[in-house]
Amino acid sequence: MVPQTIAWITARGLFGRRRFLLLIPLPLLVVGLAVLSRAFGVAPENWAQPVLVGLGLAVVLPVIALIVGTGVLGSEIDDGTIVHILTKPLPRWQIVLPKLVVATAVTTVTVSISLYVAGVLAHSVRLGLGLALAGLVGSLAYSALFLALSLVTRRPVLLGLVYVLVWEGLLGNFVSGTRVLSIQQYVLTIADKVAPTGLLQSKVSLPVAIIMSAVFAVGFTLLAIDRLRSFSVAGETS
Amino acid sequence: MSEAAGVIHDIGYQRYSGPRLGRGYVFSSMYVHGLRTAFGLGRSAKAKIFPWFVVGVVFLTGTILAAVRAQIPDAGVTYTAFVDMMAWLVVFFVAVVAPELVSRDLRAGVLPLYFSRPLRRTDYAYAKLAALATAVWLLLGAPQVVMFLVAAFSADNMSQFWTEVGDVGPGLFYAALWAALFAGIGLLVASLTGKRAFAAGGIVAVFLMTTPIVGVMSVMPSQTMNELALLFSPSSLVFGVGMWLFGTADGDTDSIGPFGPLYLAVTIGVVAGCVALLQARYRKVASS
Repeated sequence: MVPQTIAWITARGLFGRRRFLLLIPLPLLVVGLAVLSRAFGVAPENWAQPVLVGLGLAVVLPVIALIVGTGVLGSEIDDGTIVHILTKPLPRWQIVLPKLVVATAVTTVTVSISLYVAGVLAHSVRLGLGLALAGLVGSLAYSALFLALSLVTRRPVLLGLVYVLVWEGLLGNFVSGTRVLSIQQYVLTIADKVAPTGLLQSKVSLPVAIIMSAVFAVGFTLLAIDRLRSFSVAGETS
Repeated sequence: MSEAAGVIHDIGYQRYSGPRLGRGYVFSSMYVHGLRTAFGLGRSAKAKIFPWFVVGVVFLTGTILAAVRAQIPDAGVTYTAFVDMMAWLVVFFVAVVAPELVSRDLRAGVLPLYFSRPLRRTDYAYAKLAALATAVWLLLGAPQVVMFLVAAFSADNMSQFWTEVGDVGPGLFYAALWAALFAGIGLLVASLTGKRAFAAGGIVAVFLMTTPIVGVMSVMPSQTMNELALLFSPSSLVFGVGMWLFGTADGDTDSIGPFGPLYLAVTIGVVAGCVALLQARYRKVASS
């Protein structure tokens, strides 16, 4: 009963505010660009990379996971209502897991549908399903990471942006070593291996992608549970 | 004692009757304070982490490029190319600083206090915008000055020196274009929300989601469309203007075709539009 209540509170906190509207334009842009490219008869080899990878997997997935993942717990920390949940005699995992499930579900629904449509337009239903599955895995890993970040630091969004922009965006393209610790590359690999079309270029092997995604998801969930055990409510940073 | 009827509390303190510092002073104070806030000066150590991280990376890159230029003069690393390389860091810097400048004031509800001073509503927005634009310009301009000094001191003769002067001038102007455009867009997005986290996310989303549009437009089957593709993202828009005004290292300006003036017009239009929207936003914020 308690997990449902927490999940419901979290979902209402996410959808009950205007900022929820921020989630809509990004997926629409993916679908819109795919439809536009298709309508103008551009070869999929040319537009799949910028739309599916450049926009879909590298921007829409992490940015939405960032907004949602730091929002499910972070907004309650910000306005102080986290105290009401923390003072209930609940094991901490019963707080973290429902929130993680809500964050993952919202991110997956928003991201995977648009990726599926774009994938079908680009190549086939199989690519669409591969991208949707990759979206699910990515949502889980990113949500766990950003949820834990919102407990570890007072500036989770900025730190998350450093990870997405600098680690995955800048270094991931130039320094091959960082790819092993980049969720974007796991997601890319999973999509590519489910639907080997040649449109996506994966750079890590499938076992690495699966194992490391699981490590990210489980590890950061455990970290979040652990941090919530000794969480102290403080004011806004100066 | 009782002849001062009609005055509720006159306990006999002396009134200030000297000159008062006016609107201009408030404006310059806000500008200086904004500029200091941008780099976390006068703030806690936590507020300095992110700005100085960006400054550190930018300066490191600038120093490395200066060394490369000194060793290999024909490496093609120009001042404008340096600015292009720093695009993502500038986006991140704006995402860090713009919410600090405007979102905190919205959240703390101190705007009525500002507007009760001899400061017009437009002044507030202009001061913040000027502070952010200056901060971005300094971020991009200072490493160029370092690069220039390295090149100037290793120049063999005066003509080489003057070539460097002729290169760094446009470089600094190019940095100013970046600063104006990125500060305008960033501050507009940040002024919409009082939560710094969402302002930062929103700014990055605006810059990130526009980049792939350029990618798609540039593979469209129409050549006109390809030449107009760079219009669709702030960083590529400035890149197009720079290409038209200063050319590229290899002299290739085909990707914008004959549309150079249009790029400049759109850049000015976007900056003016952002300023106008920002003013409209603050008229509304102040009245509510």
